[in-house]
Amino acid sequence: MSLLDALPTPRLERGSYPNVVLVSLSAVMLAAIWGLDAVSMAPNRIVQGAGAGVMEALGWPGALLASLLVLALGTLAFRPNPTNYSAALGVVVLILALMPFGLMVAGHFLIDPALPQARLGIGAGYWVVLFVLLLCLIELRLRLALTRLWPMLILAGVGLLWWLCAWLWLGDLALVQEYRARDQQLIRAVGQHVVLVGVAVSISVVLGTLLALLMRRYARLQKGAFAVLNFLQTIPSLALFGLLLAPLAWLSANVPVLAELGVSGIGNTPALIALVAYSLLPMVRNTYIALEEVSADTLEAASAMGMRASQRFWQVRLPLALPVLLEGVRITTVQAIGLTAVAALIGAGGLGTFIFQGLGQAAMDMVLLGALPILILALMVDAALSALTEVLRPGGVQ
Amino acid sequence: MIELSQVSKQFGDETAVDAINLKVAKGKFCALVGTSGCGKSTTLRMINRLIERSSGDILLDGQPIEAYDPVKLRRRIGYVIQSTGLFPHWTVARNIGLVPRLLKWSADDIQARVGELMSLLGLPLEEFAHKYPHQLSGGQAQRVGVARALAADPDILLMDEPFGALDPITRIKLQDELAALQARLHKTVVFVTHDMDEALKLADHLVVMREGQIVQQGTPLSLLQRPVDAFVESLLGGLERGLKQAALSRVKDHMSSLGPTLPSQYRIAADCSLRQALSVMLRDHADRLTVVDQHDVPIGELSLRRIVKEAQLEKGTSRDA
Repeated sequence: MSLLDALPTPRLERGSYPNVVLVSLSAVMLAAIWGLDAVSMAPNRIVQGAGAGVMEALGWPGALLASLLVLALGTLAFRPNPTNYSAALGVVVLILALMPFGLMVAGHFLIDPALPQARLGIGAGYWVVLFVLLLCLIELRLRLALTRLWPMLILAGVGLLWWLCAWLWLGDLALVQEYRARDQQLIRAVGQHVVLVGVAVSISVVLGTLLALLMRRYARLQKGAFAVLNFLQTIPSLALFGLLLAPLAWLSANVPVLAELGVSGIGNTPALIALVAYSLLPMVRNTYIALEEVSADTLEAASAMGMRASQRFWQVRLPLALPVLLEGVRITTVQAIGLTAVAALIGAGGLGTFIFQGLGQAAMDMVLLGALPILILALMVDAALSALTEVLRPGGVQ
Repeated sequence: MIELSQVSKQFGDETAVDAINLKVAKGKFCALVGTSGCGKSTTLRMINRLIERSSGDILLDGQPIEAYDPVKLRRRIGYVIQSTGLFPHWTVARNIGLVPRLLKWSADDIQARVGELMSLLGLPLEEFAHKYPHQLSGGQAQRVGVARALAADPDILLMDEPFGALDPITRIKLQDELAALQARLHKTVVFVTHDMDEALKLADHLVVMREGQIVQQGTPLSLLQRPVDAFVESLLGGLERGLKQAALSRVKDHMSSLGPTLPSQYRIAADCSLRQALSVMLRDHADRLTVVDQHDVPIGELSLRRIVKEAQLEKGTSRDA
């Protein structure tokens, strides 16, 4: 979401020009509904599923309803004004809310009750429509000049509805079946993932801030430190995990204290080291820039009013740097959430386990089971830290 | 009282300020004027030790400034800059209360002082106390800047082109307010500007600087009457010097009592400057004006012929001297 937040907010125009973005997005959705497989159906877990179009999946009343709703969205976008935008927002939310029920209908039509292993996969058409609807939501938020809170509330509500449907009625869905087979494992993996990310980010916030402060004091350090951090960033993550394997294994074999602390060639230690190494660059860079970019006039005024150096740092420089500094924490955290998935390869656990096991077993739904929580975690952290940054800008100061 | 003797400042090989001598008596308003880069701001910042001088002595109330801890020294000296330097993350009230807070006043005292200063500078408390600096206009922000500088009631006020970034109308309004404020508070002010009109209007003591040196100093009138060289003369407005001088005196100091002749139909208030009176004469094609008090009652007469004669007399005496 953050990338799109960086775009300028277009002004609400009362002209009669159609909103090209929404019209095109509606066209893409129509094409996806009719051109791509809505769902797939497999008799058991291993066999490749057979795709089914919208007529097979939803029957003609369902296909008609879906098409009409999308057409309504496109039509509303032809005459853009606040009322129509609000109505369009309603249509988008309605489609999002109806989508799980569509899956139920598809399950009813396509799954043979005689086959207990049969399962329903979500098809390309469904994913595309879901993705395009999220784009519509962002466009509408900008047009209606809503705060960031609104799409979050809408998505939370829709997410809750999807969760309820999945819990109660969507037993046929492959994703749900994968979850039911491993719910304890998944919850544990989410916990591991969050702990790994949390510890790695905490360490890099402390280290990064210290490093940035040192760089401000000793100018010579700056070039060298940035060179090293930039270099670290270029090592592929898998290679870094591999590189850490040998030295850490040697250390744990030869230094008993470290072994007792849990240091070993695989597992949490190399994962944490690698995550911190990757997190340092964005953290240090943002902290350094944030502290350096505080206006010289403001700082001079602070001195001239008789603030001591420490008062000036804590009361003026740091609070003014905080929004940019938090931006660094946000980038670092979102990046770490993604990287931690790779750490599963060296036995650190986390949601990556599901992705790699799923890949190994050619069970794409299991991959999805690992990937979806990572996506949701990243979005939640992104939204929370963005909101915090906004709160810390008093009265909207830039 | 501020006293600088033989004060110099070098930045590397550049000499920014070159052996200047300057005395500002207690309660006086001293303006440093000059072109950009003449060392006037550097001089100002050496007084509150934002810049340490290279040589010479600076005395505050007879004490060398090294005798003071720089932090405590600055809390005793108000400082106002062109860009206001307000803290963008603090409300107006918090900005103004900064120095009292640093001096550990009680919360009640700070609140009372902030209210007092805001009303002194024409900022209604309810309307402005909780605003942030970016919600203020340029003039309002600079008022807050002045209020912040005055918060701990310092004896000395340093101002570095405080009105330089404001539009002409706001600038003149704030100059008038500052003059009125100074008439009440009698601070020792050192004011840096490159606007000669501003300096002439506000200063008791005018200092013209060029390339780090003081070219001439004295009362505004003495500089206008006898500029020491062509540079000072051009700064003072060249051919318009006469009008600038006229701007410094009041109509009431040049009027004569109402004579037996018919009073002029054109009127001018006694508190106006002579420059304004001359402007009215040109506009209304009149060589005599009736001077009135604030109730519009005629109290005297101003005649162009008399003004010219006075000036001739003055020139004669100054030639003799």
